[in-house]
Amino acid sequence: MPKLKILLLTLISSLILLSSLFFGQNTINPFDLRGAEKDILFSIRLPRVIVAFLMGSALGVSGAVLQGMLRNPLADPYILGISSGAALAAAFGLVTGSYLFGQLSIPFSAFFGASVVSVLVGAFGWKKGRLLPERLLLAGVGLSFLFYALLMLLISMSSYEGVRRTMLWIFGDLSLADWSLIPYGLVFIIAGMYISVCRSKALNALMLGDDLAHSLGFSAHRERLLFFISVALMTSASVSLGGTIGFIGLLVPHIVRFIIGADNRIVIPVCAVSGGAFLCGADLIGRSIAPPMEIPSGIITAVIGSPYFLYLLRKRDVLGT
Amino acid sequence: MSSEHNQTILELAGTGFRYSGNKPLIKDLTFSVGNGEFIGLLGANGSGKSTILKLAGGILKPSDGHINLWGKQLGSYSNKDRAKLLCYLPQLLDMNIPFKVGELVSMGLYPYDIPPEISVDDALALVGLLDKSGSYLANLSGGERRRAFIAMTLLQGAGLLLLDEPLANLDIKYQLEIHRLLKDLKDTKNISVIMALHDINMALQFKKVMLIKEGKILGIGEPENVLKRELLKEAFDVDIEVRKQNGGGTWLSYGESS
Amino acid sequence: MNIPGLHFLYLLVVIFLMLPASLACTEPPKRIISLAPNLTEILYAAGLGEKVVGVTAFCDKPEEAKKNPKVGGMSNPSLESIVSLNPDIVVLTTDGNLREFEERLRSLMIRTYVFKARRISELPGGIRDMGSALGEKEKANYLAREIEAGIRKFSVSLQHPVKKKVLFIIWPEPLIVAGPGTAIDEAITLLGHENIASHSVVSYPKYSIEAVIRQSPDVIFIGKGHIQIKEMSGGLLKKIASVPAVKNKKIFFLGDDLYRMGPGIVKGIGEMSACLN
Repeated sequence: MPKLKILLLTLISSLILLSSLFFGQNTINPFDLRGAEKDILFSIRLPRVIVAFLMGSALGVSGAVLQGMLRNPLADPYILGISSGAALAAAFGLVTGSYLFGQLSIPFSAFFGASVVSVLVGAFGWKKGRLLPERLLLAGVGLSFLFYALLMLLISMSSYEGVRRTMLWIFGDLSLADWSLIPYGLVFIIAGMYISVCRSKALNALMLGDDLAHSLGFSAHRERLLFFISVALMTSASVSLGGTIGFIGLLVPHIVRFIIGADNRIVIPVCAVSGGAFLCGADLIGRSIAPPMEIPSGIITAVIGSPYFLYLLRKRDVLGT
Repeated sequence: MSSEHNQTILELAGTGFRYSGNKPLIKDLTFSVGNGEFIGLLGANGSGKSTILKLAGGILKPSDGHINLWGKQLGSYSNKDRAKLLCYLPQLLDMNIPFKVGELVSMGLYPYDIPPEISVDDALALVGLLDKSGSYLANLSGGERRRAFIAMTLLQGAGLLLLDEPLANLDIKYQLEIHRLLKDLKDTKNISVIMALHDINMALQFKKVMLIKEGKILGIGEPENVLKRELLKEAFDVDIEVRKQNGGGTWLSYGESS
Repeated sequence: MNIPGLHFLYLLVVIFLMLPASLACTEPPKRIISLAPNLTEILYAAGLGEKVVGVTAFCDKPEEAKKNPKVGGMSNPSLESIVSLNPDIVVLTTDGNLREFEERLRSLMIRTYVFKARRISELPGGIRDMGSALGEKEKANYLAREIEAGIRKFSVSLQHPVKKKVLFIIWPEPLIVAGPGTAIDEAITLLGHENIASHSVVSYPKYSIEAVIRQSPDVIFIGKGHIQIKEMSGGLLKKIASVPAVKNKKIFFLGDDLYRMGPGIVKGIGEMSACLN
């Protein structure tokens, strides 16, 4: 029964969310909030969990949308090269220690870098008035190479500390979560998600092929453009909130589809909730393994994600797909 | 041409098509499809059959001439409205579509805000796939998959089906199955079908065929009149003749190529 | 048998055998290349600045040191530049320079010296040892004694102060602090106080803000790694506003003297000591 499964997933996700709020290096008792505990909960944990949830949702939905839009089960939000642009811009800020926008300097730089790459990829992928999936993919991969090369150049020229800060950011740094950051992230992510949720029928149709989508009454090219914008918004906002955390966009849609089926009208909202919970859980683990040191969440998602990804590949092989 | 049919659904007049900068693929195409007609679009590979179907379906925009659907310009319909009236099934159906049969068929309802009266199960029953509603498309046979898509078009309720080589790569059993299914639909629901094919034998089964070469119509009409030796030679560059048997059947006789 | 001739022959042989050995031992290097900023500082502080003919791009103290030709970074110096400067010896550290590079230098018959002191307590000894290798024992000894005296001055005050909980922040966002095995940690202990990050697994851990709140440090030092470090620390300090250090305004911005294992260490300890008392 699909409704039951959805309910179960939502329940588990909520549990993970609450755990990451109250567990960690130390357990916070919600019924006994004194002084320092209250500060920790509201100034540190709550914004952090909110940011983690936002990022995870954005990545989960972006992955689902891209896999449908490009008809490629291995698509991941970073395939469009957005992460490389964000990483380069953020690295520049971290290495030089620029402080133009105050506390929000790094997130703003990252968002700027992400947006630049999104526009470039869109421009390269555009031909004769439409976005072509193959061109998008190639442009994304090509630009990734370019920007990562520039990033390596920057790293080779910087001091040890600058390099370290950059690496920590690239692997996902949720410790930068702050209430002042959340409204910006929220706006872009909600905007992107809204577009995707509204057009989820179109995404289903796109998965059948452009001609069939057209036959069902959708303009394949316009839908693809809308989805591209939606993914660009969500992914750019996500990396600016806390770095380039991988595997969520790739894996969460697969897991969700495996449990619930491929109908995007359900898959997209469920990916949002599951993706958010997944990252909250990964962050919880990263915070709790070797306290008070924090292991970046991107490493946790990679450690969980890669074996599962390899397992997925094997399974597909067995099915003969 | 279509004296027994009262309404013209689709009309192409002087239609031409070319990809920008290239030479024309379709030149001065004129024909019409009436209510309940079952037309076989016959031609060699690359003769322009797919292009004609895509033009008729609104997927490609004509460079010359016009196309009318129920009397109105095809381009003037909104996507959704057009989807309620005609439907296009491509030749290649992706095997990697992750949907279940039931999910796919229900997508036929997308053009509608208020769903029509036919249900998913009804459509599945009509194509004989009711028991496969929960199966994954990837696990069906070629013929079953094709039928699932046809069920989807039924739910879409379009009056005109444009099918691009729906019988290609299917075993003869499934070819006949689908052909019979479509004929039933035509008879019971008055649905019009234009089906592209390059198998001359199959074309003989149709009441009306359209022979195409290089985007031009060589002949429209009953198979006896259209599939003549000279025209077939021109269309397929082979010496073929349709011979009638005493029992009423027909067979193809291959001459020596010149 | 010509006995005097035999003696003479014997003398010649001995001199011939001793010559290479003496040449190797007695010539103090005249051209020194330093591949670490702290070594550059030590060399100049010991009065050997004249002999320095090449430094890294990061060697920014003292001012005169910057005038030397640059041979690259610490982990990726340019072999060509080094060789073209024709040094008599190249000095490196175990912290920041690569062992493989040192081996390459030696394989090219370039004399090297590896400075091994990584703790404050090892610093004077390390300086003396390097002085020995450079043939400048006196100057090195002088500098080493100066440093020892400076350290002694501050560790004397071990008896009376109340042990305070101290945190040294290297960078506020992301929060990176000085952990065990750092000169900073040593300095804090030397002055009789406790580094709250001393139980970390690595030397410069990315620290949890939560943990800082729970451990409630009495004094917080922030290293001046950047011009706008005060503004950059604002966000972090707001989050940890409840800890005693912030409440009692015991936040101090220190220079980067404690980052380098060199003569500046004493100044750094002095700065820290002044703030803690």
